[in-house]
Amino acid sequence: MIVAAVLFAYAALLSTLAPRLLRGAHWAERAPRLGIVVWQALGASALTAAVLAGLALTVPTVRVSADLAELLQACVMALTEQYASPGGAAAGAAGAVLALAVLGRTLWCAGQAIVRIRRERREHREVLDMVGRPDTARGVVVLDHDEPAAYCLPGRHRRTVITTGALRALDDDQLEAVLAHERAHQAERHDAVLAWAQVLANAFPRIPLFRIAEAEIARLVEMRADDVAAARSGRLTTAAALLAVAGGRAPAVALSASGSTAARRVRRLIEPHRPLSRTRIVAGSLTAAVALAVPLLVVGGPAAAATQLNYCPDGTPAAQVTTMR
Amino acid sequence: MAQFGELEAAIMDAVWAAGQPLRVREILEHLDRDPEPAYNTVHTVTEILHRKGWLSKKKDGRAYRYGATTSREEYVAGLMGEALAVAEDRTATLARFVQQMQPGEAEELHRLLGQAVAREAREAPK
Repeated sequence: MIVAAVLFAYAALLSTLAPRLLRGAHWAERAPRLGIVVWQALGASALTAAVLAGLALTVPTVRVSADLAELLQACVMALTEQYASPGGAAAGAAGAVLALAVLGRTLWCAGQAIVRIRRERREHREVLDMVGRPDTARGVVVLDHDEPAAYCLPGRHRRTVITTGALRALDDDQLEAVLAHERAHQAERHDAVLAWAQVLANAFPRIPLFRIAEAEIARLVEMRADDVAAARSGRLTTAAALLAVAGGRAPAVALSASGSTAARRVRRLIEPHRPLSRTRIVAGSLTAAVALAVPLLVVGGPAAAATQLNYCPDGTPAAQVTTMR
Repeated sequence: MAQFGELEAAIMDAVWAAGQPLRVREILEHLDRDPEPAYNTVHTVTEILHRKGWLSKKKDGRAYRYGATTSREEYVAGLMGEALAVAEDRTATLARFVQQMQPGEAEELHRLLGQAVAREAREAPK
């Protein structure tokens, strides 16, 4: 019961407090790849903690024994004991519902998203292959359209698409920056990263962590791809390429007053480049690893302790404690 | 049908370029492909395009004329609509290079970028 409570409190804290502390953090813009990993780790950790909290309520912890028969017997006894009392049975049922609901909802939404994304990409690709002109030298498909735009269609049959408007607006160096940006998206499978963040946000729309993680990850993958393009073509060239493509058309809807992500990306490339120090990147990575490990340790801790205590003779106070969760 | 992909695109190119419905024989004449595909192949692929809804088919004397159901520009506009859609749930389907920017933002950033480029040019020779 204590394990479940700790896990549940951890998941709740992570889901509400963490996004408030981390949102729009400046260090993430200086090390976007680390930022993406941290947001992913927090999401995975909260999800794991919620599922494990449910399971911890459902399945009572028993003393691990080397003798299989003895272990089974201990399991059966613990289960009978828990479900004999109405409170225990209710807690067990609630735990099972929680674990299954979280797991089932995630898998269901993930399955739906995969089907939808595949269909949308296939439909888009079928039309694209018919109306686009392949430019094999550059490895892109060119669309006759005056508005400057560039995008990639990820997946197994990937295409990088660029409009004639964009080709007119960009010089050769800037075009190289655009292509390097799109290649970075492909190479680092940013589409999968985004899809997963979206699945969590759609599956649990009330959880601030998933909602904010989605927006932050969408911003950070662009900055990460900008950095890859800038390493190849130069930061100012990449900034000019962004401006040439984004500034050439009117926005379809009014954007937020705080300024668009596009503008933030250009500003970031113009300002002096200050990548995060190695020490802070290591510290950030460790934080992400700890976040991932915490739910497993909370569950694994008592089990590991039980293994140790198994060597105590029966009837000692320590051995009795482990059977009480 | 994958091997017909390029021929499908070439046939649609021919019909769009002609700007009017064509007979299979005329499509074959408009196709600029080497080696020239067989009449039967072009006929088969044209029929496939008709079944898929890309081409309409009208009887003209003893033969049929095939015309584009939708203009190339409309298809391109549709693709651009998907690519530039502001809808958030599209972001995983396509990865666009950059989203829109407000005109005011673009002006200011052009100015800042100009300054930064000038600064870099000044510092470079040293």
